[in-house]
Amino acid sequence: MMNIEINHAIAARARAGESLTEAELAELDSTDVLSLGMLADEVRRARTGTAVTYTRVFEPGPETDAPSLAAMAARGVEIRLALTAASLDEAASRIAHVRKASGPDARLTGFSLADLSARGWAPIGQVLAALRSAGLDAIADAPVDAVTSAEVDAVAAAGLGLGALSVRGVPDQRVTLVLKARAALAGRPWVSAFAPLSREQSVSAPTTGYHDVRMVALARLGLPAVSAIQVDWQQYGPKLAQVALTFGASHLDRVSPFDDTALGSRRGSVEEVRRNIVAAGFTPASPGTSA
Amino acid sequence: MSHTLAELQTRIETGGRLGAAEALFLYRSAPTWWLGGMADLVRRRKHPDGVVTYIIDRNVNYTNVCVARCNFCAFYRPVGHGEGYVLSFDEIFRKIDETLALGGAQLLLQGGHNPDLPLAWYEDLFRAVKARYPALKLHALSPPEVLHLSRMSRLEVPHVIARLVAAGLDSIPGGGAEILVDRVRKLLNCYGKASADEWLDVMRQAHRAGLRTTATMMYGTVESDEERLEHMLRLRAVQDETGGFTAFIAWSYQPEHTERGGAEATGIEYLRTLALARLVLDNFDNLQASWVTQGGKVGQLSLAFGANDMGSVMIEENVVRAAGAAYCMDEVEIVRHVEDAGFIAKRRSMHYEILGNPIIRERELPRQLALATARADGDTSVPAELASYPARSAAGKRQRSQPRSPVA
Ligand code: SF4
Repeated sequence: MMNIEINHAIAARARAGESLTEAELAELDSTDVLSLGMLADEVRRARTGTAVTYTRVFEPGPETDAPSLAAMAARGVEIRLALTAASLDEAASRIAHVRKASGPDARLTGFSLADLSARGWAPIGQVLAALRSAGLDAIADAPVDAVTSAEVDAVAAAGLGLGALSVRGVPDQRVTLVLKARAALAGRPWVSAFAPLSREQSVSAPTTGYHDVRMVALARLGLPAVSAIQVDWQQYGPKLAQVALTFGASHLDRVSPFDDTALGSRRGSVEEVRRNIVAAGFTPASPGTSA
Repeated sequence: MSHTLAELQTRIETGGRLGAAEALFLYRSAPTWWLGGMADLVRRRKHPDGVVTYIIDRNVNYTNVCVARCNFCAFYRPVGHGEGYVLSFDEIFRKIDETLALGGAQLLLQGGHNPDLPLAWYEDLFRAVKARYPALKLHALSPPEVLHLSRMSRLEVPHVIARLVAAGLDSIPGGGAEILVDRVRKLLNCYGKASADEWLDVMRQAHRAGLRTTATMMYGTVESDEERLEHMLRLRAVQDETGGFTAFIAWSYQPEHTERGGAEATGIEYLRTLALARLVLDNFDNLQASWVTQGGKVGQLSLAFGANDMGSVMIEENVVRAAGAAYCMDEVEIVRHVEDAGFIAKRRSMHYEILGNPIIRERELPRQLALATARADGDTSVPAELASYPARSAAGKRQRSQPRSPVA
């Protein structure tokens, strides 16, 4: 086998699932991208084997009718709401409407915790409790660079789940983000996924492939407490998402609920997602709502 | 024959050559990390200066009218089709002016096999371009186009090449290679435009005439792993013979809007194929990253899997876009991706001579967030100069007797 050009002591600690220091993470971040990816892949395989899970997500618009929602729910597709409401009452009423149409067993998620907090409708605990009682199962994501630990705790206190910790801004400090995620995960075993690639991208200067796969690898190596490292299939596209699987990612989020390849590869069928997983040397696991 | 990775690693590290069975074993069985690491080692050996090159040129498709009808192609229009076009000399001059303004020094000129464009049209175009832009390089006409002109003009390939060179041709792009195995070419309906031997022979003749060319591979249709390798090995053999190839460029078949349809090969498959090419094509100095088919992100990651060149800024692209991919990288983006990966970005010529540092370090250029197209949608104008050339097809003859007709 090839030699990993990485400090052996750090690699050994990563393999043992130990918590790497900031300096160790920075050293990993400065190593060559192939060696970093190889180590992250090894750690990920030791942890979760070759399984790759994925979540099919339907994001209804205001015009989506009740039968469509019911049909999606019946197929086990997660229904994820965007934050378009102008008030808490409107948001709650929208959730109640979608819950009624999709049925009690539907997995109904939505919103970014940072957006809810920024709305300032009420103290965040009250907002989350209202959404929960309207029928929401989980908050879709909580960006570690935009929310506080107290806000994350408020999610659990309201009886809601959390899809994933995430990253919002255009990051330049990968290690800082991993450390923020680690702080957000500490003492919160109910958070099972981290999506390390930014939800926002500059049009004129998007993040690079090297940045993205380094971020994924560092997240896998720096966050032994979290079971799944997620990549958004629609946002990052099949090529980067697939490559990310070989750098430590183990879950593909926002896979299309439609099986129509005419929609293009970013919204392609589950068959295409599974084909990409297999071609990367992994095994597609049953669709799940979490990894 | 059985191999171990350790044995083959030693072979690669010591500069030894891989045989077909060994290469196939690696392609099928070596871990992706191993392939990437070995390809990176070979790239570093060939390019120890850490330079990654790119060229500023424009990819102009002078016509989309084509009689070849390759079933993987979403770009062509049959003779007489309402969306068929031929660019006028003036349109091409405008594109050159825009290219020069962006620091470009070359035109990549390729098109369909249009039966109504005789050899004289190409010669006149090349002469007109060289008269107006003496320093501009013409990287033009892939082997099947040369062969098409040879058949239409009933002149031998070396003769056609000599006439094109006399008119201003500087080098030949390696398009139309697809997979250089006739079984595959027949299935793709591209055997007629050029068999594997014919494609290679055009390149051999071009190299003998003193031209440098590139070589390409479009994989991911009907070929087997063995046939991908056969393609590479045939290129390696010609390169041993002539040394005329400057670079190898692989890209995945883009299926959208094609007659063949199907699915595109994945990003990992691209990186593995690229890495394998770096190991097998030991007599090629340069491997391009195909960001136009893989996107900027995987295009950049290609630099870790054996590529040492980011290809072209392109400015314009029509063929891949017709098949569904629409990635764009202007010079700012190419340089940013090269430097972010830890390399030094340098502009180059088609001959891979370093031309200098990025233009954007010298002057501000307008950002280009989308590639241009050959023509604006709905533009059905017919170049006036076409009337001076004889058409062969019935539709072409009709159109030339009515020069304002919207059919090109
Ligand atoms: S690939 Fe070229 S030769 Fe084949 S149909 Fe398209 S334009 Fe014609």
